Amino acid sequence: MAESMKAIKSRIKSVENTRQITKAMELVATGKLRHAKERIEHSRPFFELLKGTLEDIEAGNRDFSSPFTRPAAGGRTCRIVIAGDRGLAGGYNSNLFKAAAAEEGDLILPIGRKAVELYRRRGFEILSDEYAVAEDVSVGSCGAIGEELAKAFLRGDFDRLTISYTSYINVLTQAPASMEVLPIVSGKGERAKGGLIIYEPSAEAVFNSIVPQYISGIVYGALCESVASELSARRAAMEAANKNADEMISGLSLRYNRARQASITQEITEIVAGSEA
Amino acid sequence: MNFQLQIATPDGLVFDGEAERVVTRTTEGDVGILARHSDYVAPLDVGKTRVRLPDGSERLGSSNRGMISVSGGVVRIVAVTFEWADEIDVERAKRAAEKARERISRQRTDRELRLAEYKLKRALNRIDVYNNR
Repeated sequence: MAESMKAIKSRIKSVENTRQITKAMELVATGKLRHAKERIEHSRPFFELLKGTLEDIEAGNRDFSSPFTRPAAGGRTCRIVIAGDRGLAGGYNSNLFKAAAAEEGDLILPIGRKAVELYRRRGFEILSDEYAVAEDVSVGSCGAIGEELAKAFLRGDFDRLTISYTSYINVLTQAPASMEVLPIVSGKGERAKGGLIIYEPSAEAVFNSIVPQYISGIVYGALCESVASELSARRAAMEAANKNADEMISGLSLRYNRARQASITQEITEIVAGSEA
Repeated sequence: MNFQLQIATPDGLVFDGEAERVVTRTTEGDVGILARHSDYVAPLDVGKTRVRLPDGSERLGSSNRGMISVSGGVVRIVAVTFEWADEIDVERAKRAAEKARERISRQRTDRELRLAEYKLKRALNRIDVYNNR
């Protein structure tokens, strides 16, 4: 009996240690999440203004043509895939990779260490692995990404650009999502909007110079959402781990007490039996 | 006469309020916008942005790419980065300029050279705005 008591005690100890780690990870994720949520809210107006302007230009100009609006005829697809740097976030990374559904021959721009590892292992052509650490990607590097992608698109390196990220809905819900970035398809067919807008130097030039920034804006927005989603997913996963640990500890304590009780009972029985003899 | 001016960057809304006049650097040169300007859109370059507030005081800022749009009397500056002169970390800008100069001197590819030149321009603009505050 004593042997079993000792074994149970050491298991309790080890579960408690694990619980301490998961608890700490939960707290860290909760703290960072607040910051990440603020970032999403701050980046929204910027992005919406850019998008609105692009749509206005496209809808308001009849004789308008830009290489960025040319419909893709087959051709190659480039995918931006934004994943996390670490695991231990429930199904965050695997759900995203499932949704991204990259096909053979696609060009990949992975953001986040897990994405770089996965696509390299599967043998995809990788555009750049400069952005391996999702947490370090700043507004500036998103700007560089936008410029590079716009240039590569004009060169004809690929004919479609999509982005896969995890959209942050609320603390409990995050959904992997994919979005078409290029070519830009007009959301609205026509819009009878009064008043002419002056474009300097020309509508095409404005449009083409905004596109790289629009791409950067999408990448940055998607990145902010993904980071917040990752933190939420990790927080939820760690919360579940804590609950599991608590249940295990209480189950083990019960077994430990029973074992202790049994050993005491046995000792008493032995003493009584000895005195009677 | 005043008009509503909004300045937005990916990090948030920098300014939202009344202004009397705004002068900024577009890719075609400096433009000044007053109230009742007709609808207008132009991409921005790296440069200075001056805002005259209704009380007559002027604020100077360093703007970097993006665009300016006038729509229905509301002027929006949507910049990739924007800092007011008194918010500029001038030491950081000096370090960035130093680094960019060093990169230009050992230029390897066209792309790196262009990037370094852009970074230098941005850093010098920040320093200039800081000195003119």
